This record gives sequence, structure tokens and C-alpha cells, in this order.
Amino acid sequence: MDRGTGARRPAVSEARIRDLTELDIDGITRIDERITGKYRPQVWEQRVVYYIRRDPDAPKVAERDGKVVGFVLGEVRGGEFGLDEPTGWLEFFGVDPSARGSGVGRRLTEALLAHFRSRGAKITRTMVAERDREIDAFLRAMGFTPAPLTALERAL
Amino acid sequence: MSETRAELPKTYHDAVVHWQTHEFPDYPMLARVWDRFFPRDGPFCLCAKVADGVSDLIEVGDLVGRPRATTPAELDPKAAHILLGQIRAQASTEFGSIQQHTGTLHRASDPQDQAWVLRVMAEELRHGYQMIHLLTSVDWSPVTDQKPADMVEEILSMTTGSHVLAAFNLEFDSFTDNVVFAAFIDRVGKYQLTMQKVSTYRPYATSMPPMLKEEAFHLAAGVVPLRRWAEAAARGDALVTMDALQKACAKWFGRALEMFGDDRPDANGGADSVRLGLKDMTNRQAQDAYVAEVTQMLDDLNERYVRAKRPDLSRDDAAALHERLKRDRGAADGIAYDDLLRLPDRRFFRRRGDGAFEMWGFDGERFDDVERCIAHVASRLPEAYRASVDVRHWAETLRRVRAKELSLKDAIKSQPRLARVGGPCPCSRSVRWVVDEAGAPGA
Repeated sequence: MDRGTGARRPAVSEARIRDLTELDIDGITRIDERITGKYRPQVWEQRVVYYIRRDPDAPKVAERDGKVVGFVLGEVRGGEFGLDEPTGWLEFFGVDPSARGSGVGRRLTEALLAHFRSRGAKITRTMVAERDREIDAFLRAMGFTPAPLTALERAL
Repeated sequence: MSETRAELPKTYHDAVVHWQTHEFPDYPMLARVWDRFFPRDGPFCLCAKVADGVSDLIEVGDLVGRPRATTPAELDPKAAHILLGQIRAQASTEFGSIQQHTGTLHRASDPQDQAWVLRVMAEELRHGYQMIHLLTSVDWSPVTDQKPADMVEEILSMTTGSHVLAAFNLEFDSFTDNVVFAAFIDRVGKYQLTMQKVSTYRPYATSMPPMLKEEAFHLAAGVVPLRRWAEAAARGDALVTMDALQKACAKWFGRALEMFGDDRPDANGGADSVRLGLKDMTNRQAQDAYVAEVTQMLDDLNERYVRAKRPDLSRDDAAALHERLKRDRGAADGIAYDDLLRLPDRRFFRRRGDGAFEMWGFDGERFDDVERCIAHVASRLPEAYRASVDVRHWAETLRRVRAKELSLKDAIKSQPRLARVGGPCPCSRSVRWVVDEAGAPGA
């Protein structure tokens, strides 16, 4: 998951939450670059096209004054890791540092979760790296709790 | 929003499949490349999709709040006629775009780009199928004397040169057109479908959401390759140039604007459709929003170009350079304003609506001399297209209008005669696309 959550600070001006389009690639790339310091347009092109072709009503962006200031990408899938029930997977999100603290992250997440519900999902899942304490805190504040699952890995 | 799927009666389903075998022979290739380029996606379905959960009440116009019509007979007669025209035109665009894409699909230099366009074509086939479902699943006799089989026959008989809208009567010159078409023309399609989502005719309104979901990918199939080409051009790739992309944009932009209908600022085109609850924006309102969107698209492409051309600059410095180039229209830091993509004036190279057969230049400059205007316009178009019957027809028509040998009204009606014309199924034993189950011509 990408970094940057948008918790804590008081609201500034209301951002508009809307469906993602292919014209948001630049805005998302910009936010990612501000957060990670890396310019990765090809990465976001592939990701954005993936979500658009799968379910374009799912991914959301926050727009303020014509600029994308936050995004959340995810979709409903079933069958992963033996979890048969339709699951809303929250996979990428990011909030521009200038927009943090304005509730953008919360509203983006709520919009995505509402979409997951409309698609029949009864549960949302995600994973957070241990080092990303800010994201972890944000998700817990959004009602996420530790899952009875263990993330495993092995170096190759 | 969930959806219900439906198949056409066998006669019509078979007609569409038969059309596909002739006009879209690459269709079977999609199944072969699906898992490679669209892993996890459900298989493609040639079927009609109807959105569930659409409101039963009219959303715009004079009858807002009343129940939506479920049959053509329940519609205001004028609304029913306009609606039938909308469905026929929509069907024409769907089948027409496949015929255009087919000619240059195999010239794609990137397998992913080709697979994306192939999927776009298949989904356009589904959209055409959807329109035929609308024409054949209810009784249109209160609106037209034409029988459903004849309406379908007419649609399937159209080819590049005989479609309803000019944008679908242009041949593609190269794979650049496949991509630029998706970015510019499919975007108009998105606007039409979005506006028609409010249609007072419920079966039409419920057809729009599934089509719009697919259309979102079509736009990406245009924009993302363009983004990569802009970067390749910046890196000096000899096979991709900004000039080639710019000329392709100039070829399609005017045709895209004309798809909105009469867009003259004082004509209030489309107002009747809004009043009758068939769409929620006038032609000019929708076109204004479209122009803003394609302006942003070109801005994004230019920013990508600048970043690739000057990778040494920070994001903010590159953005500042881009803004400076746009403002000063000069050259700076090794990049010229003319290297960047930009939209022509709305009245440039128009056949209908605002600026039709007037002498406007690319940047909105006015010409007094018809030959100078033609030379200017031609210099802005792709070389292969310049030599086409389409451009020649535009130039000859402009000359006749300026010489007062032809009225503007007649000029607008005039269409270039392409070598290929519409016709029945080319199979030797068939006379029609729509054939009844016993093999006799459809009733």
C-alpha cells in the first residue's frame, strides 16, 4: 500500500470525491512522487488501467480546485488465499502531503467501502507494512482490526 | 450496480455474428490473448447488459418526476423519433468504429496496444449488439413503419463512408489513428452515454451504465499509449514524433466536435432533447466539457514529454517550464512551444456546426484566400490523410461555398463518396445480413 493517509489536521476546504478516470494518472503519479520521491508514470499507468478495466466505479480520487489530492484503488474479488467470500481489497491509497489532515483519506476510504458493499462484499481486507505506523493508525481509526491471517514471505 | 444479461433472438444474434465474421475477422484472436493481457478478467460476453437499480422516474426535462417510459408507445411522439435516431446513430458508431479499427489493427508495434484495441473493438461489437437489442425487443411500430429486421439490416449494411456521423466515415491511415481515435472519439461516446443515462426511455437508460464501464477502458486504451509515445518522442525515438501525434489530433478533433450535433453558440442545439428528458446537457454544454477534458489530456501528454525531455529537472521545475512554454509560445531549455501538442481552434477544418466551411486556421486565424486556407489546413493534417478523398472533398466543397456555387446547407449535407459503399452480406448465397431461421430473407 502506498503511504500518506490524511488524518489529524483540521479540515481545510472540501475535496470532491469522484470515480477515477484515465486522466488522473498524472495526478496520482504526482502524489506518489511527492510521497516516495520517485517519478513512476509507467507503474501508475498499468495500475490505473487495471482498475479501470476491472471495475471503473470502484477506484476513487479526491479533487480540490481541479487537482487530484488523493486516491484509493481497490476492487472486489473472491477466492484469494482460500477466502471464498467476496472481499473488498483496499490495495493502494495516497494523499498529497498538502491535503493531509483534511479528512480526504477518510472520505476516500468510506467511498470505496460503500462501493464494496454495493458489490456484495461483507468484508474489506488490506495489508500494511509494519514500518508504516501512520497508515496502520489511520486504518484502525477507520475501523480496521487485525485479521486472523498471517502474512508470510520467503526470500528467493 | 448489478446487471442482467440478455441474448438477442437467434435471427438477430446470428446476423451480428455473421457480420463479425466478415467485418471483424480478428475477433477470435481476442480469446487467444485474453489471459495474457487481461488476467483475472471474466471472459468477454457478446450479449446485451441491462443495469439493475435504475430509477423508474424521469430525471430531467418537462416531465421530471413522472414514470419513465418502458415502451416507445408511451413516449411523446417527438421524443420517440429523436430517441430512435439516437439509437440508430449509436449503433452506427459502434459497428462503424470496428470497421475503422480493423484496417490498421495489425500495424500496432506493441502487442499490449494491439490487445487493448482488440478488446475495445469487441466491446464496441457488444455495444452495437445492445442497440440492436433495443430495436428488436419492443414494438417500434408507433414510431416508424420500418420493421425491426429492416432497421437491423440497414445498420449492418453500413460501411466506412455510409455511416451516420462523419467521424465514422474516415479510414485510419496507421495505428496512430486507432489510438488517437480512442482518446478523442470514444471520449465523445462517453459524453453521449453519460448524457443518455438520464433518458426518459427506461430500456435506454438501463443500457448506459454497463456500456459506460467498458467505455472507461476504451479511453485508457487511447490515452496510455499516447503517453508512452510522447515519452518516446522526447527521448528521440525516430519512429514516434510529436508532429505525427499533433497532426492526428488535428484530423480527429473537428470530427469529434461535430458528433455533439449543432454546436453553434447561438443555436441552442440539443435543447429539445433536454426538454424531452432524453439527455441532460445541450450540445454546446457537453462540448465545452469535452474540450476542457481533451485540453487536460494534451496538457498531461505535454508534461510527460517535458519530463522525459528534461529528466534532470525536478517535478516543479518541469511543470514551471511547461507553463512558461505555454505562456510565451517560444522556446526554452531545449524545448519549443511547437514541440507540444495543442488543440486546433474549434472552427478549424469543420464540415458541420460552428465554423462549417468557413476559413479558420489552426490557431483561430481567419483566411481571406481560399487556396491559402486549404494549403494551411492541409499542412496541419497527416500526410497520408491529406491525399484522401475525404480531404479532397472538403477542399472542393469549401471552394464551391466560397465561390457561392453551393449553399452552406447543401455543403453540410454533402458527403465524400468513398470507394466502399454499404451493402448486404458479401456471402455469395446471402442477400441480407438478417436471415430468418429457415434461411429465407428476414421479414
